[in-house]
Amino acid sequence: MVMPDWLSNLSVWVGEIMIGVGVVSDVIAAIGMLRFPNFFVRLHAATIGTIWGAFLPLVGVAILSVGADYLGSYRWFMGGGALITAVLILILGPAGSHALARAAYRSKAAKVEPKCVDHLEEHIRGEERDRNA
Amino acid sequence: MEMSSGTKIAGVVSMVIVTSVLALAIAAGGLGYVIPPPHLRSLADWYLKTALNPYLKYFTVNSPEAVTSIVWDYRGLDTLFETTVFFLAIIGSIALMRGIHIDVKELKECCPTGMSPIVKTVTRVTVGMILAVSASIALHGHLTPGGGFQGGATAAVAPLLVMVVFSLYFVSKHGLSEEKMLTLRTAGLLGIAFTAFAALIIGYAFSTHAYVFQNQPKAEAPVGLPAYMFNALTSGTLIFFNLFEFFAVAAGFTIVFLLLSIPEVIVKKHSGVSEE
Repeated sequence: MVMPDWLSNLSVWVGEIMIGVGVVSDVIAAIGMLRFPNFFVRLHAATIGTIWGAFLPLVGVAILSVGADYLGSYRWFMGGGALITAVLILILGPAGSHALARAAYRSKAAKVEPKCVDHLEEHIRGEERDRNA
Repeated sequence: MEMSSGTKIAGVVSMVIVTSVLALAIAAGGLGYVIPPPHLRSLADWYLKTALNPYLKYFTVNSPEAVTSIVWDYRGLDTLFETTVFFLAIIGSIALMRGIHIDVKELKECCPTGMSPIVKTVTRVTVGMILAVSASIALHGHLTPGGGFQGGATAAVAPLLVMVVFSLYFVSKHGLSEEKMLTLRTAGLLGIAFTAFAALIIGYAFSTHAYVFQNQPKAEAPVGLPAYMFNALTSGTLIFFNLFEFFAVAAGFTIVFLLLSIPEVIVKKHSGVSEE
């Protein structure tokens, strides 16, 4: 498949920009992990690292490798692998952080702070009241 | 003891300097030789030239993957005993947990539910993918990096995930048991043993010489397993070793994961430790 020059240049540029945004997000996520005060807020920083710092650059690698003719025919394997990994991270990252947050909340291992409203707590209390009634 | 920030900075700077000086010295040949060596060693050269070389009929393994060739052919006996060590470790963990069995009824009373529906849905999607990737790693072990052990270890992640996400009760209810996995594990090991003796058996049948753990024909031992089957490169014994090792390792790891995920309450009850 032969691509016009402007299109392959564009895809390389877009891919490189996405990888660059990923690097910046990873640095931000790392700073957040170190500086944020408690578990739930730190978990927020960690998920920035998985989505903006892993999913986005992997999609960037896929776009870049499609346009990078100088990589030869192996660029299709590279791009396909990157795309599949990106989709897997997109599904698995949120599920993992959800499981962590849920476990920490239910086992009362971490305090929810700062908090304005906690519907889950009200729900659990309601369940307990129903059980006792 | 509270360190002042000046001391901390001095510590970090001195560590960085020591590491850099050491790295520079080693890179410049401080150990008496340069790392990595500038030329291929003669042993590596030999492996690269013989692993897939139809012109050296008595020396080749007929596999483009040099690592698997070394693991299951050039040093095959070593790998066999590695597998045995792993099997002994599994036996050891079963012996440690003797008397503690997985009872579906007890599990239903104690902990019948798994994690939230979100995690369960995601696991349903990924378990099939994990099994597909593991089969690919194992069955292409003689063509691309990977092999039976790596494939088996990957495959064992699938039951582990289901155990953690859907609960041990769920997998026990659907028929996954320690005994079944042990049977599969033993069948895999028997397959490995049989493959090791395959050339010898063929040699006896045609009354010629053959070696134990022989793959391709050797001088004065013209017996060998087919390098091609159904027009596909299978590299003689390598694909069989990888296949059987895949089952043995996957089942072995699953046994350990099953034993590790038995709830503490049940372990205490079966082993007669009273609840304090």
